[in-house]
Parts: sequence; C-alpha cells; structure tokens
Amino acid sequence: MGNKKKPKNGRRLRGFLHVLQHIMLVIVVVTVLIVTTGSTVVIDGLSGSSRYSLYASDQEKTYEESELFNTIYGRSVADIIRFGVVRSQLETDGKFDGKKIIDVTAYNYRDLGLPEQYVTARYYLEDLLKWAKYGREYSEMYMTAAQAEEFLSDKTMVTIVDPNSKYYNTSDANYLKSDIGSYTFVNDVSSNMLYEEDNGDNIEETTETVCQQILINRYKTVDGKNIEEYTADWANYDALCYNVSTAMDSLSYNYDEYQNYNEYYAAENSNIRYYIEKTVGEHTEYFTNIEDFDVDDISEYMDGNCKYLYYSPAEMVYESNSAIAEGTVRDIVQEYDYAYPEDIKIWIAVDTDYPVYDAFAEGARGFQNYLPYFWQWIVLAVTAGVLYLVIIVYLTMKTGRDTDEEGNEIIRLTKFDRIPTEIAALLGIMTTFVLAFAAEFVISNCNEFWSYGDIYSIGFKVAVGIITFFIDIIVFFFFYSLVRRIKAKVLWKNSYLKRLIHKISLLIWEVYDNGNIVIRTWVPYIIFLLFNLLMVITGIGIVVAVIVDAFVGILLYHDVKERQNIVKGIEKITEGSFAYQIDEYNLHGDNLVLAKSVNSIGNSIKDAVEVSMKDERMKADLITNVSHDIKTPLTSIINYVDLIKREEVDNERVRNYIKVLDEKSQRLKQLTDDLVEASKISSGNINLHFEKINLTELMNQTIGEFSEKFEQKNLTTVMNINASNVIIEADSRRIWRVMENLFNNIYKYALEGTRVYVAIGHREQQEEAGKERVEISIKNISAMELNCNPQELTERFIRGDESRTTEGSGLGLSIAKNLTEAQNGTFEIQLDGDLFKVIMTFPILQMK
Amino acid sequence: MANILVCDDDREIVDAIEIYLLQEGYQVFKAYDGEQAIKVLKENTIHLLIIDVMMPKLDGIHATLKIREYSSIPIIILSAKSEDSDKILGLNIGADDYVTKPFNPLELVARVKSNLRRYTMLGNLNVENNALFQVGGLCINDDTKEVTVDGEQVKLTPIEYNILLLLVKNCGRVFSIDQIYESIWNEEAIGADNTVAVHIRHIREKIEINPKEPRYLKVVWGVGYKIEKQ
Repeated sequence: MGNKKKPKNGRRLRGFLHVLQHIMLVIVVVTVLIVTTGSTVVIDGLSGSSRYSLYASDQEKTYEESELFNTIYGRSVADIIRFGVVRSQLETDGKFDGKKIIDVTAYNYRDLGLPEQYVTARYYLEDLLKWAKYGREYSEMYMTAAQAEEFLSDKTMVTIVDPNSKYYNTSDANYLKSDIGSYTFVNDVSSNMLYEEDNGDNIEETTETVCQQILINRYKTVDGKNIEEYTADWANYDALCYNVSTAMDSLSYNYDEYQNYNEYYAAENSNIRYYIEKTVGEHTEYFTNIEDFDVDDISEYMDGNCKYLYYSPAEMVYESNSAIAEGTVRDIVQEYDYAYPEDIKIWIAVDTDYPVYDAFAEGARGFQNYLPYFWQWIVLAVTAGVLYLVIIVYLTMKTGRDTDEEGNEIIRLTKFDRIPTEIAALLGIMTTFVLAFAAEFVISNCNEFWSYGDIYSIGFKVAVGIITFFIDIIVFFFFYSLVRRIKAKVLWKNSYLKRLIHKISLLIWEVYDNGNIVIRTWVPYIIFLLFNLLMVITGIGIVVAVIVDAFVGILLYHDVKERQNIVKGIEKITEGSFAYQIDEYNLHGDNLVLAKSVNSIGNSIKDAVEVSMKDERMKADLITNVSHDIKTPLTSIINYVDLIKREEVDNERVRNYIKVLDEKSQRLKQLTDDLVEASKISSGNINLHFEKINLTELMNQTIGEFSEKFEQKNLTTVMNINASNVIIEADSRRIWRVMENLFNNIYKYALEGTRVYVAIGHREQQEEAGKERVEISIKNISAMELNCNPQELTERFIRGDESRTTEGSGLGLSIAKNLTEAQNGTFEIQLDGDLFKVIMTFPILQMK
Repeated sequence: MANILVCDDDREIVDAIEIYLLQEGYQVFKAYDGEQAIKVLKENTIHLLIIDVMMPKLDGIHATLKIREYSSIPIIILSAKSEDSDKILGLNIGADDYVTKPFNPLELVARVKSNLRRYTMLGNLNVENNALFQVGGLCINDDTKEVTVDGEQVKLTPIEYNILLLLVKNCGRVFSIDQIYESIWNEEAIGADNTVAVHIRHIREKIEINPKEPRYLKVVWGVGYKIEKQ
C-alpha cells in the first residue's frame, strides 16, 4: 500500500504545481498590466478624455499634493480664467445677454488696440450667434461703377476714437462694455477713392463690370441697416464684411465654449469653486459659481477642506495652499490681458471632500486605487515571477520521473511523448502560430469585445489573464514533453530522421557486406575519386567535396579503430582472459566476420578451460570421498595389526609378516592423506591465509625439526644465508608443508653422511623492476642414480626410483611445487649427476 | 575406574578401542549410532565419550550438540574427516578433542587419559600462587620447578624448562628464535641457529600427546613459537 501510494502523491503534487505555475504567470501578467495601465488615469475633461500619468514618487504624498491633482487643478485654473473671458463677452451682470450690442470691428481688434478711426457696424449678440449657426451666404455680383455707386452708400461712416478716452490705445480696453466716447462722422462719397484714383483712361472703362462678392445681410445692425449702407467704397466694404464674419465666428465658438464651461463648472457638476472680480473704472463685475457669495467670506471657504488660490495683482497678493505658482496664474491672465484689467481678484478653490463626482474625484479614485498599492503590486509580480521560475525549474527536473513497482527510478512517458519528434515539433510550431494570431486578434479587437473598450478596463485584464493561462498551459505542455523526451533519450531515437538515416545506413551496409572484394574496395574508391573530380570541376562543389572527404576519413578511421579493437581482443585471449568478448555491435564487413570468429574461438577455449576445471574439481571431490571410505577400514587394519604386534608371537616369520603389514598400512595412510591434498591443490580447492613469513626463521625451525632425523642418517646441514631476515608473504602452514616435504625427501633419498646445502639469497636476475625475489636453494647428494627428467619428478607419483620400493607416496614434490606456485613462488628442480637441487623463489615483501 | 562410551558404526573399530581401553582399566560401554549413544548416556554414569561423526540415524555432530544440552563430560570426536574445517566445526559445537582416522591407538588412549584427568581435576586446582602458571592442562610451578601435563609430571632439562616458562608466562605471544635465544642465553643471537628449534621439538615431544599436532606449544612457521591460550 505504502509503495503504491507514494508515486501517486508525487504525481498529485506535480499536478498541483502545474496548475500553480500557470496561475503564477497569470498573476505576473495581470499585475504588470495593472501597474502599467494603473500608472495612467484617464479623466473626462472639457476637451474629451485625457490621460494623466501617476508617478511612484507621489506614493508618499496625499492625492492633493500629487502631480495628478495639481495638473487637473492647473487645467481648471486655466479653464476658469478663460471662462471669465468668455463670460465677459457674452454676459451682462452675470447673465447671458442676447441683446448685448457687439461692435464688430472693435471686437476683432480687442487684443491689438484700435486704430484711431475705423469703420464698423453694431449687431445684437443673438443675431450674430444665430447668423453664425445658420451660416453666411455670399453672392457674386457684376457691377459697373454706376451700379456700384448705387449699391454702396453715398458716405462712409467712420468712428473716431477719442484720444482722451482712457481706453484709447490701451490693450485693456473692454469694448464690449465700453462707454467709448466715439462719434461718427460722414464722409462724402465724392471723395470715394475709387473715383479719385480713376484717371481719364479709366473713365471710359467705367462701363465695364466689376465682379464683387457681396455678403447677404441675414440680420440688420442695431440701427436697422445693412453693411453696404455704412461704406461708400469697396475697400471699406470688404474690411467691414471681414470684421462681421470674423466676429460672428469667434463669438459662436466662444458661445459653444461658454455653454460647455457653464455646465462643466456649474456648482452641481464640479468641485471647483471660483470667484473672479474685475473692476473697470467705476464698474465692478464678478463671475462665480457660488450663490450669494460675499467676497469678504473668502476666508471662510479657505478654512474648509479645500485647495485654493487667490490672486489679486492690484493688491500684490497671491495666496495658495496648492502647488500652483503665482507665475503660472499670472501667465494665464496675461494671455487675456484685453479682458482683464489690472484690478482683478481671482479666487479658485477645490472642495477636497469631493461632494461631486468630477475630474478631481475621478483622479482621486485612480490615485487611491493604484498608488498606495504600487509596491504591493510590484512585490506580488516579482514574487509570482520568482515562484513561476522556481516551479518551472523544479518541474523540469521532476517531470517524467517515477518509480516502477520494484521501486526503481524510471522516466514515465505520456502518450504524447511517444509521438515521433517531428510531428510533435510541427504540432508545437503550429499551435504557437495559432496562439500568436489568436492573441493578436483578441488584443487588437478588444474594443469590439468589451463595452468599456480600452486596455484600462477590468474586462481586458481578465481576458488577458485567461489567454495567458491557456497559452502557458499549451506552451509548457510542449516544453515538458520535450524535457521528458530528452530525459528518456527518445528525442533523437523517436524521430523520423533517425529512422531514415538508420534505414539508409542499413541499406548501404547490406550492399557492402554482401558484395565481393571488388565491390567493397574498388567500387567505393572509384566513386570517391569520380565524386571528388566532379565536385572540383563544378567549382562550388569543393566545399561539398571537402565535407564528404572528411566524412570518408572518419569512416576509414572507424574501420581501423574497429580492427584495433579486434586485435586487442585477440591479445587479451592470448594472455589468458578467455572470457573476453569483442563488442560486435556496429561492426561491419570483414571486421564483423573477424570479430565473430575471434569471439567464437575465445568461447571455445573458455568452455574447454571451464570443463577441465570442473573435471579437476570433481576428481578432487571424488578422491576426498574415496579416501574417507578407505580410512575407515584402514583404521581397523592399523588397530588390529597393532594388537597383533602386542601379542607375544614366537614365530619369527609371522613377526616379519606383521612388520610388513604395519609398514604398508602406515604407507597406505600416508598415501591417502597425500592424495587428498595433492588433488585439492591441483584443482585450486584450497584457502590460503597469507601472513608475513621470515625465511631465516622458517629455515631454522625446519632444520630444528629435522635435526634428529638427519642425525640418524648422519646428514649435515650447511646454511648459507646471504639475505638474512627476508620477509615474504605466504601461508605459514602451507609453506611448512613445502619444507617438510622437501626435507623428508632429503631424509629419504640423500646419501648417508653427506652434506645438505641450504642457501637463501637474492635472485640474481630481476625479472621485473620493483619486484625483487628471494631465492631458496636446497642441494643434496642422491643416494641412488637419478635416471629421470627433472620435470617428471614433480609430476604426481613419480619418484627417483622407478621400482617404488622405498617409502613415500611419490606426491611429495608435486605437492611442494603446487603449493609453492599457489603462494606466488616458483619451484624448479635441477639434476646434475647425483646432485639434487631444488630452487624456489618468492617475491620479497620487505627486508628487515 | 572411569566409564567410557565408545560410539562408532564400525563394530571392529569399537571392539579394537575397547581392547585398548580395557587394558588401561577403563570400563567400556558401546554404541553403534548417535541415538544409542544418547540412550546409554542416560542409563549409565559415563565419564567420557568417544564418538564417530558419520553414523546412521543420528550423526556425531548432532549427538554432541544434544548431549551438550545437559552434560559436560569430555567428548572426543573420532572421524575420517581430516579437513581443518571439520576439526573446527567439531571443537566449536562442544567436543573437547578431535582425532582423525586412521589413528594411533596409543595416542587415542593418551588423549582419553588427558581429558579424563582434566575433567576430574577441574575445580581442585590450587589457590592463586604467584609462582604457579597454568595453561589448560599444562601447569608450571616455578617454586618447585615442576611441570605437569594433566597432572602427570614431565621431566625437562633446565634450558627446556626456561624456554617453556618464558612461553607460558607470555601465553599467546609469538617469540622468534632470536628472541628466545636472547632471553634464555642472555647473549645476542648471531645469525642462523637451530638450537632453539631443536629444544622446542624436545619440549613438544615431552608435553604433547602428538608432537606433530601440538595442543600447547605451537609452531608458527616462519615466525616463531607460542603457547596457545586455552
């Protein structure tokens, strides 16, 4: 249960992380969107919506101190000052006055200053406004001089500005309300310049017609006249017409503006409270949106929750608790210097309780919604971003990893991961394109999808979030599939390209492997030569030829390398590693045949050796078992022979018989023991316990043990130790067995009264550097003629005397040799006449 | 005298052993498999058991294991199996001695005597004496210069005695020939000498039942000599 649950939990965690990953990206994208769109506030102003930026530096400030507020406030101040101008043009005593009389020329010259004398006409304001709304109409008339004279007035009415008037030549003149002391005089038409300038030549031409544009009088002037009735010549007529139409357009524009301002800055629509007072001479006029405003109560307004400014250039007063500088206000006022006399008082305030939902309130909302949370948004975005990356890294590491039923780590592939790489890649690319197009389409057409329209709406953010979520799902579906493919190493293995290349290479190798020697050598060589020739001739092909030549070079290199591997394998087998196998994978042609043959030879040898080892072991087991079975009856024989010996037997012959029985039964015992040991050693069935052996000590011990036996035969031992205290590594009991066998041999076969030479010294020739060997030689004179080969002596059951009459099993030397070799030593017997010499060497472990 | 149970499936061997033991004055009980041996043991007072390993019904190893559950009498295993591993197994499961077939009857008798002496002497040993050294059945009294093996006195030459005393005092420690020479003769050992080896051989012949398979004075070939801790 526990085992089954574990991977399930891991998978559940991973599933959760997948979802979390997508959510994190959505958070990042939406937060970034909020931060970028939130940093601008869109506010509906007079001239449509405008966009204001919010600055992170304002985060510490209140809204009223922020740049946003001050920008809106500044705009409002400019608006109000302009509104004051418009109002003064269209109103009388704070009310719209349609019957206001407009002197068109004076109006047009309002900011340039009037010339000393001018031609003008005066209309009612409402007539001009209506005229502008309705549109002006012109007609083209062809008139002769006479007709013109008839059409125009006899006299031109000229208005002369009284130079003594205090308004004369001052830019501050308020002509709309002016009480200019102007008077009109009538100019005689006979002085009409048209005629005066006409000389005699022209008189005849007066009969010719002149094309003149005539403004059709829709409304009459205050005096009930038409335009042409004020002038006597065309020049003045055209100038007057121009002034009429310009004044009309300007007023009409201002009227529209007036209406907008009136509504926008009405007390019920705006948090702006304003009061503008101006005094021209005796006349004081004021504009305000506050009912029953008393200028003395200004201070009352200042006390409340408001931002205000108070500007009075005449008193040299500027007061404000806002960021608007005096200079700004002064500049705005100076733009309208024709409308504002020096003696003005401007007071503009914003009720910061925002009782009315206007631009200020809108800005406040945007500010409050965004700026206080600015850093929180940033932190959220960064946190989500980091988490997103961490999850991706974790999942990239973990994806596909799983454990199978036995608890082994495996890479589990989904069904999709098994689809060939190219198809998956194609799907991925196509999906990416579709997604890109879809996202582009949705975003560019967002106006049609959401009623709010632009990217500042919540709907847009939700949509972007959802789109992001799905894009992330799809993109990472492909990404993790790629990761799993790489982990499972199927990216290349599972591709069509690999299959294709594999098929082609198989085909080529098949042709190559099955061809005869001509096809395999000359045909590729000639193709190679022709190809190079062709490529070099064509010129550009040289690059291709170089690449192909390099490829061929690599192929040749691989071929030689393969052969080298085979040679190495043969050497290994020769050295005795019969189990060595040459890797046949990826080999072709002759190399494959060669490798297979070598492997098969190696296998045969290995099998043969194994069989022989097995046989040897079986033989050893057999001998052991048989010897056990022999020992039991032998015990009885020995025991009863011994019992007979104890009986008092008088018969001499019987006593001899018993002696033979005793001796032979003892030999049989010795034989069985030796037999078991010899078979075990030769089958490698012994365990050696290596320890440090002092050769001198061993030799002394051995000689000590045999001292009495040697004394019996009058043998003298001569020790010749050139390398004293040499330490070798050997099994102490086994090396004693070697010595025991050798000394027993001497005891049995040495000529009585001779000397036995024992020498220990360094091996003169060192076979390998760093591996010194010690040599032990034991020499004695054989009592009998040695008529055999030294090698044969160490074979089993060989003894110096073929008749085998003496005691011994014939296994002693064989056991000694095998044991020596098992302890990394060498064992050699040399015969020189009657001199019997045993030479052993061992690797030196250390010298004392 | 002591009662000895001989158990082997080969009747001739049992009979032969009986003859030797009777000559020494022991009373002999006979059994021919492990189960019989256990039965005889329960019915009679047996002082020592000689038992074969390979037997029908219940083999010697399992019989020894069963007997050791309730009895601590000396057990000598008698077996044709002469491998080291066989001997180690036999001694480890509770046998006191291991004799391989074919055996020298006199050696077997000597081992029987030795084991019996040790068994009966257990507990009546002298109180701690500074001059008394003991390893298993080997006992040296340095005051009287007496050496006994399983209670039997052994006669040693002064040099042999000193060598044995040195080894017994440092029981378990391996002495090289040179070390022994230097501490006994108080001279520096010069080169190769087999005098010590010859003396050791003589000591072995005196204190060991089978000098080729010594129980006390062991030869560590190529290293030296030591008294094995018992």
